[in-house]
Amino acid sequence: MDQFVVSLLNGCIYGLLLFMVSAGLTLIFGMMGVLNFAHASFYMLGAYFAFTLQPYTGFMGALLLAPVLVGVLGVVVERFFLRRVHQHGHAHELLLTFGLSFIIGELVKLFYGNYPVEYRVPASLDFAAFRIGELNYPFYRMLMGGVAIAMFVMIFLLLTRTRVGIVVRSAIYRPRMAEALGHNVPLVFMGVFGAGAALAGLAGAVAGAFYTTNPNMALELGVMVFVVVVVGGLGSLEGAMLSSLLIGLVTSFAVGIDRSLVDLLALVGLGGWAQGVGGLFTLKLSSLAATLPFALMLLVLLLRPSGLMGDKT
Amino acid sequence: MTGPILQLQGLRKSFGPTEIICGVDLDIVPGERHALIGPNGAGKSTLFHLISGNLAPTAGRILFQGQPIGGLSPALINRRGLARSFQVTNIFPKLTVFENLRLAVMQRHGVQAMFWRRVDRLPGVREQTEALLAQVRLAARHDALAGELSYSEQRSLEIAMTLACDPQLILLDEPMAGMSHEEIDHTVALIREVTQGRTLVIVEHDMAVVFALADRISVLVYGQVIATGTPDAIRNHAGVREAYLGEEAGS
Amino acid sequence: MTRGLGGAAARGIALPGLVAALAGLALLLALPVLLSASLLNAAIQMLIAALFACAFNLLCGQGGMLSFGHSAYFGVGVFATVHAMNALAGQGLLPTPLLPVVGALAGMVFGAIAGWFATQRTGTYFAMITLALAELVHALAPHIKGVFGGESGVSAMRMPAWGFSFGEGRHLYYMTLFWVLLALLLLYGYTRTPLGRLTLGLRENSHRLRFLGYNTHLLAVLVFTVSSMFSGLAGGLQAVNNELGNYVVFDANLSSSVVLNSYIGGVNMFLGPALGAALMTFFGLAVSDLTRSWLLYQGILFVVVMLFMPTGLAGLAQTWALARRRCGAQRLLPLVGAWLVALALLSLGTVFAIELLQQLFSTDYRAGVQAGAPWPAVRQFGRSWAPGAVTTWLVPLVLLATGTPLARWAGQRWAAALDADQGQDAPR
Repeated sequence: MDQFVVSLLNGCIYGLLLFMVSAGLTLIFGMMGVLNFAHASFYMLGAYFAFTLQPYTGFMGALLLAPVLVGVLGVVVERFFLRRVHQHGHAHELLLTFGLSFIIGELVKLFYGNYPVEYRVPASLDFAAFRIGELNYPFYRMLMGGVAIAMFVMIFLLLTRTRVGIVVRSAIYRPRMAEALGHNVPLVFMGVFGAGAALAGLAGAVAGAFYTTNPNMALELGVMVFVVVVVGGLGSLEGAMLSSLLIGLVTSFAVGIDRSLVDLLALVGLGGWAQGVGGLFTLKLSSLAATLPFALMLLVLLLRPSGLMGDKT
Repeated sequence: MTGPILQLQGLRKSFGPTEIICGVDLDIVPGERHALIGPNGAGKSTLFHLISGNLAPTAGRILFQGQPIGGLSPALINRRGLARSFQVTNIFPKLTVFENLRLAVMQRHGVQAMFWRRVDRLPGVREQTEALLAQVRLAARHDALAGELSYSEQRSLEIAMTLACDPQLILLDEPMAGMSHEEIDHTVALIREVTQGRTLVIVEHDMAVVFALADRISVLVYGQVIATGTPDAIRNHAGVREAYLGEEAGS
Repeated sequence: MTRGLGGAAARGIALPGLVAALAGLALLLALPVLLSASLLNAAIQMLIAALFACAFNLLCGQGGMLSFGHSAYFGVGVFATVHAMNALAGQGLLPTPLLPVVGALAGMVFGAIAGWFATQRTGTYFAMITLALAELVHALAPHIKGVFGGESGVSAMRMPAWGFSFGEGRHLYYMTLFWVLLALLLLYGYTRTPLGRLTLGLRENSHRLRFLGYNTHLLAVLVFTVSSMFSGLAGGLQAVNNELGNYVVFDANLSSSVVLNSYIGGVNMFLGPALGAALMTFFGLAVSDLTRSWLLYQGILFVVVMLFMPTGLAGLAQTWALARRRCGAQRLLPLVGAWLVALALLSLGTVFAIELLQQLFSTDYRAGVQAGAPWPAVRQFGRSWAPGAVTTWLVPLVLLATGTPLARWAGQRWAAALDADQGQDAPR
């Protein structure tokens, strides 16, 4: 039972982390029609910037400053790179962001080395929040979840209750009309892109301390974020939240299950045969945990191609 | 064949809370030329989308040659003999005019998945494509990129591609928008020529064209057909006058 | 540029093009005599990369379906062939030279299944799905040791066949050359078939194809299958050459590099991706001893191409031919000279800066830095550079600062030259 609760909490928090990153991606795609391949790279840069700043500004300072830096970088990317290829179409923009993510990855390896760096949760935050049975549940995990929830609430309020939010939403749905009404749509694009990047950077700064910070984290998380978006339906924040949590929970629970198909088949007496066959049958679910989101994605594609909450485009 | 070639029965289409098509009943007689007119926003293009498979009906039935086609995929509907053109030109911009048309022609020769023979060597495909090109007066633009044609040339290409599938029922969505008088006259003659033995449903705003071409006219207002009949009957219909022709006279 | 003008340019380069092609073929056939063993091995790698890029371009440049996970089909071809090598030991129906066929078949089958899923969606979604599929294989492979081996992979041995030992580079080279040329010929022939034309139609307007009666999902799956079949063939060739299959082939590197190479070469021309892949593979092998930042340079080149030369390197030849027709070589040659100088300045500046940074941030260097003492000098291009000295940083700065305005100037003059003659050449 304890294990169940722990897995549940872990899954929710990992899902919230996925959402933090995929929310920005969804917003940018909904507004500009371009999938920002470099979005996960912004996540990675958030972690690395925070790691670099930590000795000078302390952990909290790093958490505040790193997203700002990443946001500025996002603005630069939009203004000087994306805008230049806008006329060539979405595929071109996608490829450009792909190239940029590639370059960012290589630059990180150049400056920080091709191995993980020692970006750790500071001792002041490294304690147990509460006990579940015999297990201590780390406070920092709760902090990550809290940051994600706070972020979601803030975006929601910003978009629905403020004047800036209304302008942004109008630019998302009808950019030309918004421009005709006198709003500076290019500025809005730049701002939303930068804000999305900053969000990803914040997620990286927060999560990088807990999970490892290494040059591969962009690809590992990036692929997950793409799966989230395919499963949830691109352009739908609710879909992103739903599929993030779903994937987080599925992964988390699977990690705790040390069974394989052999055990399943043993229920019908075929255990010995399956053991003999080996290969795929003896794979434990815990080892396969990382691949389950992909299986989920393929399932969704079979049954409901537009995503759980996507439009039927 | 006896009986209507196309039947719309109680057809409805809503997008969320907004109902665009509010119960349309219409029978198209085989071999006739039927014009669909109505003010902007009446739902004429939506009706075409429903018939051609681009959209699925919310309620009601669509019967083509007696078989229900509502909600089927556009490809299936096309293969049964129903072809449509588009109001916004829908061609292959970076391919040549010849290629554009050839793609349309190839389908009826049953060659879609063929990868073992060169397409140039296929009998009939080239000839039919050249013939169609000549018919719409685009033979001179044989090798031009479709995206670089003038607007009215693109409309002609659009019509040619629709005809290439040898359909029994042709839906033309404002084929002559943006054409000059001379081009319109030629296209009207072209349409008359190629629709012999076929059925035509055409959406048009140019009343001269409508009255010259159509055997019967239906008037669509706010998602409903308020009148169907011969051009004379429509001309004298009070409701139509008020809703459509009357607006023109008054403005 | 209208097709008419493009057609004229095409005819203008057709005859020289044919001569060049024949000369190139003769050169390819003569390479084993001209090159050392290691260079010949590099040539084999280049051929395989060229084939893979062309197979990729079938789906991407021609079909308009951007695949970010194409290494999966290459890798499936590798492993299928390695296992066939072990199982058949070069006997029976499949002597060694015919083994790559196994790779092609495996790529075809796996591609058909994967393609069915991926083509359920289009555009950006499609790209994401292909990436996820490749990552799925990449995550799964280490666990299925029976098929993919562990960290050391699965090895096999080439067996003699048809009187050749296949132990020498020469035999391998000619075998690879034969398969690659055959595959390229088939791929080119494909573009002239109905399915090949429909592939272009899918890229241009798949929506319209549906209304013309085509089952676009089926068509997309077919295109995907053909592309993955030839990718598997390339994988099979690599398996025979390396006698090894390792699951690292499934990681993102190969998928990324085929995308980069194809666009650098130019996706609009049939041999563009082959050119890009061959060039990049060659440079990758040539400079791998000189620098650790090769991938970074590749990425920068890609971004530069995407920003300023969307038609790629192969497109440059066509651009040049057209511009020459319009303005005459005399006017343009000085500008070309300016371009080349600017390019040299910018490349030198960039390489200098990156190599300098690479050295300064490497672990070895950082270990040698002592607090308080000045940082040790760095050796580069045969000279010593002190990080504290201004000149060290001035060099790349000056190079970049002079190269950029020169490039800008050349670009503006070029555009102006083309515009000035626009009126004379416009169709009446």
